[in-house]
Amino acid sequence: MEQGVGKSWRDPELLWKALPSVLLQTTCFVAPLVMTFLLTFQRTRDFQLRWTWDLATWTDVFSKPHYWTILGHTLVMALACVAICLVLAFPIAYGLATRFKTLENEIKILVTFAFITDATLKTFGWVLFLDKKGAANYLLTGLGFPPEMVSFLFTDWATLLGMVYNLLPFAIFTLYLSIDSIDRNLIFAAYDAGASKWRAHWEVTLPLCKPGIFAGSVLIFLLGVGVFLEPKVLGGGTSPMSAELIRQTFETRVNWPLGAALTFVLMVVSVFLVLLFSRVLGMRRSGFGA
Amino acid sequence: MTKTWYSDLPVYYQNQIKAMGLDEAGLARRRFMKGAAAAAGVAMLGAHSRQATAATQMTYMCWEGYNDPRIIDPFNKANGTEIGFDLIVDSPGGFAKLQAGASREVDLVSSDMPWITRMGPAGIAMELNPDDYADVYATFYDQFKPPFEPLLNDGKTIGVATRWGWVGPCVNTDVTKPEVWKTYDPVFDPANKDKICVMDWGDWPILPMALHAGINPYEELDQAALEEVRKVLRAMFKNTRTIVGDLTQAQKGLLDGSLLGCIGAGSYLTSAVRKQGHKNILGLVPEPKNGLKQGIIWVEATAILKETDQPELAQKLLKHVVSKDSGKILSLLDSTCNVVTNKAVEELYSQEEKDILQVDYMWHAWDNSQMHRIAPNIDEMLAIWQEELAAAK
Repeated sequence: MEQGVGKSWRDPELLWKALPSVLLQTTCFVAPLVMTFLLTFQRTRDFQLRWTWDLATWTDVFSKPHYWTILGHTLVMALACVAICLVLAFPIAYGLATRFKTLENEIKILVTFAFITDATLKTFGWVLFLDKKGAANYLLTGLGFPPEMVSFLFTDWATLLGMVYNLLPFAIFTLYLSIDSIDRNLIFAAYDAGASKWRAHWEVTLPLCKPGIFAGSVLIFLLGVGVFLEPKVLGGGTSPMSAELIRQTFETRVNWPLGAALTFVLMVVSVFLVLLFSRVLGMRRSGFGA
Repeated sequence: MTKTWYSDLPVYYQNQIKAMGLDEAGLARRRFMKGAAAAAGVAMLGAHSRQATAATQMTYMCWEGYNDPRIIDPFNKANGTEIGFDLIVDSPGGFAKLQAGASREVDLVSSDMPWITRMGPAGIAMELNPDDYADVYATFYDQFKPPFEPLLNDGKTIGVATRWGWVGPCVNTDVTKPEVWKTYDPVFDPANKDKICVMDWGDWPILPMALHAGINPYEELDQAALEEVRKVLRAMFKNTRTIVGDLTQAQKGLLDGSLLGCIGAGSYLTSAVRKQGHKNILGLVPEPKNGLKQGIIWVEATAILKETDQPELAQKLLKHVVSKDSGKILSLLDSTCNVVTNKAVEELYSQEEKDILQVDYMWHAWDNSQMHRIAPNIDEMLAIWQEELAAAK
């Protein structure tokens, strides 16, 4: 295998065939990243970019704790979103793949509706529902909940609700595909070997779902660290997350080097966490599709 | 059963084809494809001939509203132009885009006045000769006639003022009294905790708070003054229920009474709601405090780009935008309503429209306000804003 890989790099035909893909990746992915990184060494003065080549921006990033506070808050929210989405999505995906085969298409269409409905529309819909004078508060107040219980909007919990609501379909579909591809005979074999339903689930189904759990988690986590609508609209903007900080730095402050540096920090930390997660799940050893 | 070219299609379409007589024409697939190809060819020729007689293309970078078809269509018709738009989301962003190279594409720009003025030294906007615009200025309010200092760069006029308004507390008079808002004190009153809304529009919420703290943000600030700005923002965040970037959220909160007041906005926010009949929503300006006027006047202006290849048409379009008829449309849009710099437009307003625009109040607001310009320490203040916001919860 090792030899095969080594040989492939010396295969001119393969290299030639890979050239379009390499060119595309270089121009559309690597080059913008390099440009963004180079931008971090410049400065802005009078809202204009100055090519200075110094470390002032990075000094700023590493000396101001509030950038890291916001980054920490973003990571916590994204990880919480991943955990909640997985817990909610697993039974839905499992049921879809095993128990509700007859309603499979109808349920899939319903879940797909979540994808084709604009996130802005859905998020503002939640505002109307959770507002002080919205339906949720009307119901809760009617049930006798105190006023502090019903002021849910413009809190981190409301942000998290919006994130989970908008990202849950990604988890459902990735988990569904993973569960659906499990060979049922393996589970029956576990039963034949004397395993209880729980044990078969724990020792057969869950390990075989790892690729789906990993893919869903990575997808939700990366989309989660990039959310800006939910903290702004549902969270009330008082507890900003990294995407909003970056937007503000680029647009309002017109400080492109700082915006680029904050983007880089977010990317590096996110990729590091994804790699760490893949190591924990053993994805790198077994391969993504294993 | 005889197989026809359409027998593979669903019955509904088969019936439609029969009803249209297309089956009897014996339209074979090949013939159909040839016909379609010919039609496509004709269409392409048509497009080519259209290009040959194409209208003069122009690009107008502006805020939403300036692109209203009622303003632009008559100009296009009269001048044989086809104007494309580059809508501004925020003034610094628009400036940055022009500076990054869009100035080669854009002919005319309407943005916030400080950014238009800044386009002069940046080499983006053309210097205007006020004499060329004498017909335009003849109908302007005196306050905006040349020499209008905020639009001057080294004594040269950079643009023409178009639309204006004021920044101050926006309130619902059903839940609060306008007299209470003669100062910004209610923003810091613990009784109003979670009842204050702040517009997240760059420097707009910071500047009035600095003025309230006795700091003039339009002057160069030292560290002690910046520390005062920090303190006042920290205090403001304590009572803030929401920081919104979207007008409708603030408008909704004011209307349903969940928000007592909104900071960092003004007539731009309230007028559209007033147009819908909610005259209880007011844009106010506090009384002067510590010798500092507490309100802020914002002005939008229009400039011609230096690199335009249509300088005459661009000048015509600029004059058209500030004309009486365009001014009336521009001042009463669905999204926002604001007074304009052309005094002649006032004659066209009904009493109801004057009420919507708070025309009776506008000079009171003017007299008690600072003229908005780029604050020298705005980047430091925005950094403080980010720091205090991150620490607020």
